[in-house]
Amino acid sequence: MLVFAASDKGGTGRSVTSANLAYQRALTGDHVAYVDFDFGSPTAAAVFDVPGVVRGTEERGLHSYLEGEVNEPARIDVWRQTEHPLLRARPNQSGRLVLFPGDAGGGEFATGEDALERCIDLLLRLNGEFDVIVVDLSAGRSYAVDMVLAATAHPRMRNVPFRWLVFHRWTRQHVIAAAGLVHKEHGIIKGGVERGHDEEALRGAIRFVRAAVPDPESPLWSHGTPAQAAWMQACDEALRRLAADHGIGDSVVLGVVPLEPILQWREQLITEEDVLSTQIANKETLEALEEIALRLTDDSYWGRP
Amino acid sequence: MTEAVFRETTAEPRTQAVPLSHLSLELGHLYMEDFEAGPQRLREHFAQVRPWAEAARAAAAAARPGGRRPRISTCFLIDDYFTRFSSPAELVPLLLAEADRAGLTIDYLARESGCAVTGKVPLAQAVAGRIVESPPPGSYGNRPPAAQTGWLANGERSPVARAPQAMKTAAAWQPPKETAARRHSVFLDVELWSDDPDGHRTFSCPFLAAVWQLARLGLLRNEGEPVFVPQPHTASGFPEDWDELPALVRLNPRADPFAAYRTCSVMPNRFLPVEHAVRVILDQTEVDRGALRQVAERSAREDMTVPDSVADRISYVFYAGP
Amino acid sequence: MGDSGPGESAPRAVLACGEVRTCLLPTRQALDIRAAAQFLGLRADERVLLSERPNLYARSPDILTGVDCPLPTANGARVRAVGTVAARAALTEGRVLQTSAHFRLPADGPDQRQPWGHYLVRPGVVEPLGKLSHETVAQGVLGGGRHGELDVGLIADALLTRLLRHPLLDQRPPLRSRPTRLRWVALPAGPYDGPSIERFTLAEDELRTVRLRVPEGTPSAEIAGFCDDLALHDWLLTTVVRVLDGLTLGSQEPPARGRAGAVQDRPAVVRVVRPAVDHLLHLWMPRARVVKDLAPLWEVLEERPGFTRQWQALVQRIRDQLTLHAIGSLYREVELTP
Repeated sequence: MLVFAASDKGGTGRSVTSANLAYQRALTGDHVAYVDFDFGSPTAAAVFDVPGVVRGTEERGLHSYLEGEVNEPARIDVWRQTEHPLLRARPNQSGRLVLFPGDAGGGEFATGEDALERCIDLLLRLNGEFDVIVVDLSAGRSYAVDMVLAATAHPRMRNVPFRWLVFHRWTRQHVIAAAGLVHKEHGIIKGGVERGHDEEALRGAIRFVRAAVPDPESPLWSHGTPAQAAWMQACDEALRRLAADHGIGDSVVLGVVPLEPILQWREQLITEEDVLSTQIANKETLEALEEIALRLTDDSYWGRP
Repeated sequence: MTEAVFRETTAEPRTQAVPLSHLSLELGHLYMEDFEAGPQRLREHFAQVRPWAEAARAAAAAARPGGRRPRISTCFLIDDYFTRFSSPAELVPLLLAEADRAGLTIDYLARESGCAVTGKVPLAQAVAGRIVESPPPGSYGNRPPAAQTGWLANGERSPVARAPQAMKTAAAWQPPKETAARRHSVFLDVELWSDDPDGHRTFSCPFLAAVWQLARLGLLRNEGEPVFVPQPHTASGFPEDWDELPALVRLNPRADPFAAYRTCSVMPNRFLPVEHAVRVILDQTEVDRGALRQVAERSAREDMTVPDSVADRISYVFYAGP
Repeated sequence: MGDSGPGESAPRAVLACGEVRTCLLPTRQALDIRAAAQFLGLRADERVLLSERPNLYARSPDILTGVDCPLPTANGARVRAVGTVAARAALTEGRVLQTSAHFRLPADGPDQRQPWGHYLVRPGVVEPLGKLSHETVAQGVLGGGRHGELDVGLIADALLTRLLRHPLLDQRPPLRSRPTRLRWVALPAGPYDGPSIERFTLAEDELRTVRLRVPEGTPSAEIAGFCDDLALHDWLLTTVVRVLDGLTLGSQEPPARGRAGAVQDRPAVVRVVRPAVDHLLHLWMPRARVVKDLAPLWEVLEERPGFTRQWQALVQRIRDQLTLHAIGSLYREVELTP
């Protein structure tokens, strides 16, 4: 199963959330690949705490692979190469978690026919090897989005299931932008149909994840005045109506990740340890991530809304 | 697999041998423009060829140890691939008469379209699958730089200007480089074929000429079987349609074998660029290993020296003329 | 490491090297022998070798790749070499795909690069410019070269990539598995010695290295044949071990935070083990395509680490799991009966 992580804007928590989903799936025993197609800013390695590849690899990353400079992209076994003390002790019954980083200093590039073929080669090989392949895509209407839309429409990939997660923050601007990325001109659906996708099938394979959503009930806001609480409640209501009006209402939301202070400070994987022992992360955050990770392959959350 | 008791014929490679002469001497190519220029053009051609053909025979005899008679066969190629003109019934007798007038005998007559497809065998396509590009220095097993489908070069092309990654600068222009250059390059890039919008492939003249050379060197096989095998000419006349003429006809029943250890072609010097391209192609074509071995073994038994490199087995005489 | 073909004038080879990629063919059904012939038809004019005894096996013609680059060396010495690397693909029982690239090296070669035709009539030979320390190169090859040095694995991989694009493949592998790489070198054995395995190493997760001694004159295609066979069986062991790793013992249900979306009505044992039974267990047949002269090499491997012993233990474990499962369901049925 391919899972594409997209967002219209930067700062949506797309990379850190999708990395956490990959981590959660690996914990349940799946073999998981995390593929960094955020070409303009290949930094996934930082989330997994992999030293030496924090700014991507030198010259063997995905940029070099797609441009034909190397035949096989570098792969990082996260359990083995991470400096995160908890991750190093690979949990029992967990599956493999492998990161495919971009090049150090790699930038956005125009993908041609050749890069497309190589992208398909890579995704098919990973499909034979991993249960879940999370592909983190550059923000906006990017070459990365374009390339994977073309790849998944290619006859060679006809039997490979894929799903899209579109991440956005819970603000007016982000809601409108995320809806635009999916539904508007040159968006994922129209672009996908142009490349040969069936519109209904593609629409049914796209779900939204609301990230960094402040929960008015949360202790974080308990010091506020009643007026503030009422204002937040009203805003939340207005945003829900806005989202529904733009075709990204609750029925197509796979999950909601609460605003998590530690993620505001540092993009990282949230472990049980962070919640239970050191208590630096909120239980609700971990539960939300676990829930979304499970729903990735739960068919009752997918299909026509 | 090694025990002789059990054998599976489909599990063993095998290559059939073909009879071989010492020299295959080509007396010319005929294209439509030659035919349109009238019989006079053919007459002039054969008159020009005659002394060089004799020189080639003498050279072959000199290379033969003990002064024994070398086996030499002559051949002539007619283009029916790029343009169809006249008919065998009209053209072949004229051709033979003009050769005869110059004192030349054409042993074998070939049609160029037979170099593309012979019978049901897609000969040219098969040879295209045997091209092994000469690696420019620095080739370590990665894919060849700027491989261009349908083209073959004698060196490294100028890098294609590709849109660089964002905020990286594009590389400056670099000249192409002949791999075997001596200080300076004579770079040649050969178009092997072109495809039309319907997917129909037309092979280029140099590519078919390279196939023709391989046929004359006895190095073509299809699944181990010889291809481009001469058919005897039994009928009294020649057909009205080129398709009814076999790809290779033996006109002289007492001719030496068609294929030979070496070839020599006598032609006007307008063919020079084409034949340069033929060498570039042959230099990068891996021929059937079984066929290669058979030629090596046969020639060794006859004390004939045959160059290792296939491209070095062919030679030319270019005469001044149209 | 004998020379065949017209390159008899080339000096005898002192080293043969190669690399094999082994992977599951990504198709729902194994290819039958005719489909295999179509799949491996890399050349229009050369037949695919097909064999039905003792198992279904198809092998493509060799294709060549030109190289001109430094050889990997253990001491960093730069030795430029020019020639061709031979690569071929094989399909066992229409299920396991292998691509294998190899070349042999003479002790010395011409001082400068020859016209390309010189190398094309010596298929699978890479000639050093000047002299060569074969021990240094053997170590360099096994250790993996630096960027820009001859990488025979890339050639095997390029052929694999080409084949995996074939339209005959539906890209629906019946189980998740990982490709393996086996890198090998063969040095000449002493004048009266038979073939021997000096070292067989499981280097990283997917890389194995083998160092062999073979009698002089052993064709490199035959050495490659042995190494393909070794790689195939090593891959089978690796893959079945991993399948069993995925089993949650002591429970026939998925783990507590079990695999989401998994087929819940089928017990984990059957779901995990079934594809291995369907697609892998019948493939074990060491030495099926190893020439007689090299067959003794397998005896060493059977002694230590004991390939077939481990395989039989794995097969037995799979059968036990299935039997226990069958008994378990029977037992539940009995319980349910009033």
